[in-house]
Amino acid sequence: MFAQFFGSYLLNEGIVTGPQLAKALDDKKNTKTRLGVLAINAGYLTAGQVEFIHQVQSTVDKRIGDIAVEMGFMTKEQVEELLSKQPQDYLILGQTLVNNGVMTNAQFEQAINDYKNCNALSEDDLNGDKTDKLDKIIADFYKVDGVKDPCRYTTYLTLLFKNLIRFVGDDFTPMNASVVTSAEYENTVSQRVKSEDVNAYTAICCDTDIYIKFAERFSEEKLDTADDFVNATVGEFLNLHNGLFIVNQSNELGNEMTLEPQEFVYKTAVALDDVAIDVPVAFSFGTVHFIISNL
Amino acid sequence: MTINEMSVMICDDSMFARKKLKDYILSLGVKACYEAADGEQAVDNYKEYKPDVVFMDIVMPKKTGIDAVKEIIEFDANAKIVMASSVGTQNHLKDAINAGAFEFLQKPISNDQVLKLIEIVAKGV
Repeated sequence: MFAQFFGSYLLNEGIVTGPQLAKALDDKKNTKTRLGVLAINAGYLTAGQVEFIHQVQSTVDKRIGDIAVEMGFMTKEQVEELLSKQPQDYLILGQTLVNNGVMTNAQFEQAINDYKNCNALSEDDLNGDKTDKLDKIIADFYKVDGVKDPCRYTTYLTLLFKNLIRFVGDDFTPMNASVVTSAEYENTVSQRVKSEDVNAYTAICCDTDIYIKFAERFSEEKLDTADDFVNATVGEFLNLHNGLFIVNQSNELGNEMTLEPQEFVYKTAVALDDVAIDVPVAFSFGTVHFIISNL
Repeated sequence: MTINEMSVMICDDSMFARKKLKDYILSLGVKACYEAADGEQAVDNYKEYKPDVVFMDIVMPKKTGIDAVKEIIEFDANAKIVMASSVGTQNHLKDAINAGAFEFLQKPISNDQVLKLIEIVAKGV
């Protein structure tokens, strides 16, 4: 999931544009990471050394790893270590941006180091989906102030991103959240999450063409019109996500919450409770808004 | 009983959830597959069709899945009801078992889980 937040970082820093990032997210399924990017990420090579090796490689028929070892830039063990590891998703995104000519190796080196520094992430943290680190990135990213239980929002959003990757697709960029007082989109599916002291509103909102695409991804079926089936499909994603959230709350904290049946509105403005947070998620097919209040 | 002789009922207010489960169950070659979109319809349809196994959601309009299980068990103490819900919290698990459900599946449900349960019911264990 670091790939999505790394993408968001690149966008917010103005290193890539929205269309460049969307294209890279779409292209990255066909990308193979090269040793140069892996070595820059691991801190074994600088971008300058990688460029130098590329130049040498254009004159001799040798592999990058062998050249790096001959030059004394890397040890044989380091090359083997990099080649044996499954490349992380954010590296595949970085490689795709380099391949597409959006970033140079040097810009990638700068960006990945800055990103790790500003989030206090080590190489180990980025290997895998460690929930405490993800929670921290998400908490810093969204800075949900003025809500009763910021920690619960963070847990909710971390799970949301995991479920989006699991059930809808990993080709999205989380955008900056904002506080909203009403929501008016062509389609809104909402569900209340309740306990003794909680009466939260959760919703998925977007315009119709995006709504259908989201439903197509989740249902794995071809859909043309925003009919009851599309409503039921997007509604079931929300129900599934909220369900997994309250099961975790029940198992980990002993918080017993319940869910209400979903509600669907079409082209109607929805007035929201005092602090409602709009979390836009930009998929390659369009932006879906997740709205949460009183959680 | 073989799977071909078996009848199944799916109770879920989500048309999407019903379709996904029904498509798979029909592909196994069951004799009949009935649907209900809320707890009331679940009880009525059970009394009418007496399916061999029921998949029951919990959060539904009109009557919850837990209440529907209680009424079905009152009518037929041997009813085989599997809770298939997105809300497998401790309380719901307890309520479902107390009401008389014989298994609880947390959504998303995999086809393998469904097949295993259908086979158990077919064997009559």
